[in-house]
Amino acid sequence: MHIYIYDDYVNTKKYDNALARIETRITDLGLNGKIIRLGLLENINEAVENEIKRGAKTIVAVGSDQTVNKIINAIINAEINNQMKVETPLGIIPVGNEGNTIAETLGIGREEEAGDVLSARRLEKLDIAQAGRNFFISQARIASQGTTLEIEKDYSIEILEPGEINVINLSVFSDLPEEAKPNPRDKTLELYIKTKGGRKFSNLNPSSNQSFFSLKKLTIINQKHPIILDNAVEIPTPAEISVNRSLNVIVGKERRF
Amino acid sequence: MFKSQGDKEKIKEVETIIGPSIKVKGNFNGQGNIVVEGILEGSLKTNGDVFIGDKAKIAATIEAREARIGGEVMGNVKIKKYMEVVGTAKIFGDIECSSLSIERGAILNGKCTMIPDKKEEIKS
Repeated sequence: MHIYIYDDYVNTKKYDNALARIETRITDLGLNGKIIRLGLLENINEAVENEIKRGAKTIVAVGSDQTVNKIINAIINAEINNQMKVETPLGIIPVGNEGNTIAETLGIGREEEAGDVLSARRLEKLDIAQAGRNFFISQARIASQGTTLEIEKDYSIEILEPGEINVINLSVFSDLPEEAKPNPRDKTLELYIKTKGGRKFSNLNPSSNQSFFSLKKLTIINQKHPIILDNAVEIPTPAEISVNRSLNVIVGKERRF
Repeated sequence: MFKSQGDKEKIKEVETIIGPSIKVKGNFNGQGNIVVEGILEGSLKTNGDVFIGDKAKIAATIEAREARIGGEVMGNVKIKKYMEVVGTAKIFGDIECSSLSIERGAILNGKCTMIPDKKEEIKS
């Protein structure tokens, strides 16, 4: 059975029409399933774990990047708690105009268009990164001020100007050059540092204030600023970031990797 | 890589870029091409090529396949093939390579050793 998990924000009047269109499309495509509405009382980890144990065919995140992140964490936690490999794929139906960068990168159109992607069921095994006890699929972001990066005990990186640090698994940036494009299937993370005054990365001009590293593991330390995972969850530092898990994800033809 | 082009913007397949506002401390080991425009302290080793920008400051030993050096390097440089030292470079350390070009204005304080290119040696 397909399990549709509606984030709590989509259960508001604003999205009634969008949900109605999505549900009609899902019915037309014969992809009906069970709907779980997240609210204050619903424990997402428990709900996802139970549905996986019952043999769910697909777990579908209906919402935003934040919803996708919550469900990825729930699936991976179900793997850890039960010491098993979850093969159930993750599907995504983005709802709303903002905060859907993961779906866009995966080539999934909004609302009813996403139904067609679910129906085509194009599967990709994508890497899932871990930061502390949390998991993420796209990137971890932190301000560069006061941040020290330790790379696998071999070397450390200090950033001398204000800016932003991104540890990327699946790139939601559209202006990275071809040679620096992260691959979410290579078990490698890309560290992208952009300091103020840096130009766009598109022409790979080394004199612009941008840096790029490929690595397997790093530790981020910052006394003041948190790390933001998937544009959704804040976690404190120090945090070790690595990539050692994977998840089947339903992707669209227009995916950007 | 640098022989025919000699232009930093033409470097292809860059694995790592250390930008001008970045300081790297420790032992940096890479597999591909590396661009350094910032500060590096420790050691730098790669199977690929190294491009050291005009404003880079390196206090490290360097080992690479080919290199183009434009900044300040304090440490020994060991290059398997071609090494290009441009006019803005200041090198305080010994260098070793199989093919070398030094532009007018460059400073080189150290011993220079030319080693035969292994592939060419086998051919002859």
